Amino acid sequence: MAEYKLLTKDFGAVGLQTLKGYERVGGYQGLRDAFAKFTPEALVAEVKTSNIRGRGGAGFPTGMKWSFLPKDVFPRYLCCNADESEPGCFKDRYLIDESPHQLIEGLLIASYALQVNISFIYIRGEYHDQRLLLERAVEEARAAGYIGRNILGSGFDCDVIVHGGAGAYICGEETALIESLEGLRGQPRLKPPFPAVKGLYGQPTVVNNVETLCNMPHIVQRGGAWFKALGTEKSAGTRVFCCSGHIKRPGNYEMQLGTPIRELLEEECGGIWQGRSLKAFQPGGGSMQVLLPQHLDLPLDMNAVQEAGSSLGAGAMIFMDETTCLVDVSMRLVDFYRHESCGKCVPCREGTYFESELMHRLEAGLATRAELASLADICSNMDGRCFCPLGDTATWFVMSAYKAFGDEFEAHCGAGRCPVRAQATALVA
Amino acid sequence: MTAVAETGTPPEQPDDGRVGISIDGRELRVPKGTLVLDAATEAGIHIPIYCAHPKMDPVAVCRMCLVNIEKFPKPQPACATVAGDGMVVRTDLPEVTKLREGMLEFLLLNHPLDCPVCDRGGECDLQDFTFRYGPGISRFPITEKVHFKKALPLSEHIELDQERCILCWRCVRYYDEITGEKEIVLQQRGVDTLVATFDDRQLESKFQGNLPEVCPVGALTHRKYRFVSRPWDLQRTASVCPECSYGCNINVDSRDFEVRRFASRDNPLVDDMWLCDRGRYSFDRWNSSERVRRPVVRSDDESRDVSVAEAITQAARRLREIADEYGAASIGVLGSSTSTNEELFLLERIARQVIGTPHVDHQLEPFEELSAAEHELGIAEIEDCDALVVLGAEPEEQAPVLTLRLYKAERKKGAQVIRMSGDVAVAEAVAAASGSTRIGLIADETNRAHAAEVAAALGAVGSVRRLTITRGINGRGAKDLGLLPNVGPAYASVSERGKNGRQILEGLAAGEMRGLLMLGPNPALEAAGDLLERAVRKAACVVAFDTRPGVVSRYATVLFPGHAVFEKTGSVTNVEGRVQRIRAGLPPASATPVETRVLTRLAGELGAVGWGSGDPLAVNRLLRDEFPAYGRAGNGGRAVFTAEAVA
Amino acid sequence: MTLQVETRTAIERARDRYPVARSAILPALWAVQHEQGLITPDAMSEIAGILQVTPSEVEAVSTFYSMYFQHPHGRHEVIVCINVSCALRGAEGIVDHLERTLGCASGETTADGAFTWSSTVECLGGCGGAPTMQVDHHFQENLTPDRVDQILGALRSAGSEGEAPASLSAAASGQDSDESPAQGSAGETPLTTPKEPAPTATSAPVVKKRPRRPGKAAQ
Repeated sequence: MAEYKLLTKDFGAVGLQTLKGYERVGGYQGLRDAFAKFTPEALVAEVKTSNIRGRGGAGFPTGMKWSFLPKDVFPRYLCCNADESEPGCFKDRYLIDESPHQLIEGLLIASYALQVNISFIYIRGEYHDQRLLLERAVEEARAAGYIGRNILGSGFDCDVIVHGGAGAYICGEETALIESLEGLRGQPRLKPPFPAVKGLYGQPTVVNNVETLCNMPHIVQRGGAWFKALGTEKSAGTRVFCCSGHIKRPGNYEMQLGTPIRELLEEECGGIWQGRSLKAFQPGGGSMQVLLPQHLDLPLDMNAVQEAGSSLGAGAMIFMDETTCLVDVSMRLVDFYRHESCGKCVPCREGTYFESELMHRLEAGLATRAELASLADICSNMDGRCFCPLGDTATWFVMSAYKAFGDEFEAHCGAGRCPVRAQATALVA
Repeated sequence: MTAVAETGTPPEQPDDGRVGISIDGRELRVPKGTLVLDAATEAGIHIPIYCAHPKMDPVAVCRMCLVNIEKFPKPQPACATVAGDGMVVRTDLPEVTKLREGMLEFLLLNHPLDCPVCDRGGECDLQDFTFRYGPGISRFPITEKVHFKKALPLSEHIELDQERCILCWRCVRYYDEITGEKEIVLQQRGVDTLVATFDDRQLESKFQGNLPEVCPVGALTHRKYRFVSRPWDLQRTASVCPECSYGCNINVDSRDFEVRRFASRDNPLVDDMWLCDRGRYSFDRWNSSERVRRPVVRSDDESRDVSVAEAITQAARRLREIADEYGAASIGVLGSSTSTNEELFLLERIARQVIGTPHVDHQLEPFEELSAAEHELGIAEIEDCDALVVLGAEPEEQAPVLTLRLYKAERKKGAQVIRMSGDVAVAEAVAAASGSTRIGLIADETNRAHAAEVAAALGAVGSVRRLTITRGINGRGAKDLGLLPNVGPAYASVSERGKNGRQILEGLAAGEMRGLLMLGPNPALEAAGDLLERAVRKAACVVAFDTRPGVVSRYATVLFPGHAVFEKTGSVTNVEGRVQRIRAGLPPASATPVETRVLTRLAGELGAVGWGSGDPLAVNRLLRDEFPAYGRAGNGGRAVFTAEAVA
Repeated sequence: MTLQVETRTAIERARDRYPVARSAILPALWAVQHEQGLITPDAMSEIAGILQVTPSEVEAVSTFYSMYFQHPHGRHEVIVCINVSCALRGAEGIVDHLERTLGCASGETTADGAFTWSSTVECLGGCGGAPTMQVDHHFQENLTPDRVDQILGALRSAGSEGEAPASLSAAASGQDSDESPAQGSAGETPLTTPKEPAPTATSAPVVKKRPRRPGKAAQ
């Protein structure tokens, strides 16, 4: 079970970014099959059968999400979440860069299943070139009759609008994404009502991740049962893992779920760089808890990683070697959350500020032991109290790192400098 | 003490539209859809809130009201969680205590410690909750707080302190949900978030004065109240805003015998807790020291201060002399829309029953074809209409808070608000309202005739109810109680139509009429200017009550010092017929008894018997006995007259 | 009216594409920033007029998103990621190098108005090629001080036109195929930085409310 290419099978083919190039490798056959072989209801059932879970981070079963839409309430909307901003995550960018039409095809298949006539791709502002690529691809697809009225003679109409964000991590949260798409500040909405009932413009709405939608052409063509057999019982299919940090070959690797993490690290990523050893890694992007070398034998399975106290999240693996200061890493992540907090709720707005100021003191060796002790308490006052998951997750990495590397944190207290960095500098010199 | 809820199956409850909920062991049943916060309040359990506001949709941003609810993995916001059947809520767990301490610690991180110079000190929710639920110490190692602009004038009325702001969003939601003007919005994000106006421009709303009241802290304050008082030094009196006839309920906050501010006093049926700036900031008008302070009797060559008893005797004697010499019809009687119902009740009886003159009015021009039907639509009932036709700008200029009720009907109930010019063609109004079944027609009383035509035509579209905007705090009461030449009390017909206000003044100025009994102050008569002066100078006898020195006090034959609206007790009737109590919040400017007592004694001197003491509450009882509509309205209800149009 | 006709047209076209007009606020702000290099109150008022919202709502939105400029920037925008993945592979060295070679601190503009550079904790999504930066919205990955010099030098030698040299944009967009995609689309609003330099780039910063930078010791 090494790398398994499903979504990325044709990546690298000449001209894959263009419609012709995509059609040459069989592109849009999934959409044709969807119209030919499935009613919308049957298509939703097929996706349920596939057992695919959302690739955005929370891992909610996609078919179930789709089935929450109230019957007979129209119009409905579908939003593709391409606001990928999780620290360490760059797979959606890769999927768009390499094959924009695969995403559009997946979006159209999902739109057909959900009977949606206007779909949106919300892409983060920083992905400027990717947005232009998608806009061109949408126009190509429109000119070829894949988008618009009576698509391929099916009687189904669908328009696709590419909507560019402007720098806000929080817009990856689905209700914040909807607010942003409505032309508001990207702040999460109060739930209930849930987007499936009242979402974009107050209508039933589904928000799906880029990678989730990219799977749709394959599920339609190969069947839900085939897909379900891939991966593990609880985590079907493949996932594209974004590997970064202290490894020899950083990049995106599509793996069948269930493969041991060690295999991903050692075979695909080439192992830890510069002959050093692994100190810690983060298996699901900046929000998720730290794992240790002994966790390398865990399978790439959402439940298994969860049981170990972390999560596969959005599929971003950040590997850190022995020279890494976990306080420094924590500080950067806390800074990130402080920068990206929308400011809506008190514990996130003020808590991330509190955390960030404290972590800067700690990393600089200025904090006292009492301050370090208060860090845990501040985090407990945030976790589970915030309006949306952003504030909660702003505590997860730092708390797990403190728990696993308590000595390292404490060594910073009153040290006047970062002891780990000082040691690493000495080591390298 | 109530016992902790028994576990096990609850007893069967019939579906009465209510759900059973347990809060800290107290069991109660609340209507479906009730928020946990409101259920707790009903159970007498205090849950601290900052962002929640009774008039606004929940946003759950301050996290102060998080409570433990069984079966929920995380604490839930009481302000946004609907009570479910069988829900078990706990606010008394250590976990809840801790999270409240935590939230307050967060809120105080960047809050300045300027309570000693903050106008909100003493009535600040941040102060109060910190005292009650707060951690008591700060663990924050950073001495430099996040700084924003302080003491930023947003207008002539409002000052903003962005550092004190705790970002509860209430002012933003006020401008979004209540007025729709969106003048204050959130800007920036994260810990840099602030509330501000577009491009730092000045506020233009007519309803800015509500901002300091929705603000739970000292971020938005009244400039007119800057460094004026602490709340515990204020004396608070519940009354009614005197600026117009809408009848907004207020608290009159005074200190050292001067009004320092008007505060809103929520009456959901009238003001819905919102005041307009014209009304709210009119308070210092009542602190004028320019007052009539002693009874005066004048003859051709002299003017002298007299005792109240002598003034009454003189007034009665002179009025009687006029009546004897020229007939009762040579005396005119003028009330005022600033007078209380009790005063107007007595004055009308003195005019028609004691003196026996038909010439009674309270303003200059007559109301032809006056009918109770033009006052049928209640303020709160505006929300029940599916179309609201507003004729001209005057209704909302006269009674600004009406605008907010119209917006509420539009926003929350989906009503169509149709604003048309005051003289709109009837057919155009009909076309605009077509498709509606329940129509509210709102017009100004200066546009009554055209409004009647429009109403008749709209009757073909759907049911029509009218609201006519009257003038003055008690313009409606003056109509109900028959201070009109063509209509008697309770819209009864009169046997003889009298002269209207202008005709009375003209009659006096021309020497055709001889005597005048009047209650002041009367802004409508003052608007007559020169005519009023000529009338009171020419008249043989003017018995007048007034509060401020002016034309009337200068020429009155017998002058009684009047009591300003906050110096007396009584009732006034608002535009929709709601009878509301006003109360004395300031000491009177003179030692003269209140108008009702003087009028009662005057009536006695003129021969009336059995009128009692003239105590305002006693007169109120007489009034209610006499008019069943007022009897049923009591204090706070609407007086409804079923009488049809009278000529 | 301060906006150019093309910008107004782009905003109107965006407005007409969405089911609800106010959804076009973000595209409208992009169009304005493309034309003027920053978002001014006048422009916000004009957007508000086109989209039938209040100017205050436009300002509420524009200040929320970190990519809209509230004060003038240089001709080229350089943003260096210092989040974890980039930091692990030497982002701080790139930050130090930029500070030294450009002679100004993060968030500031070079004296000649050519560059505004900043370090950001907002992960740019270039972790696979860390350390990463974006120059005029194009990714530049696997940075070394030498590579940074090469990129900045190429921009400088391309003159004040503000166009990225062809070699750089081709490398960034990954479109070296023989079949070029269809060019231009109907509602497209390019979000590249303006062709004209911002008029008051260095001399008179019109800073209204400059957000504070997170973490005093971040750099």
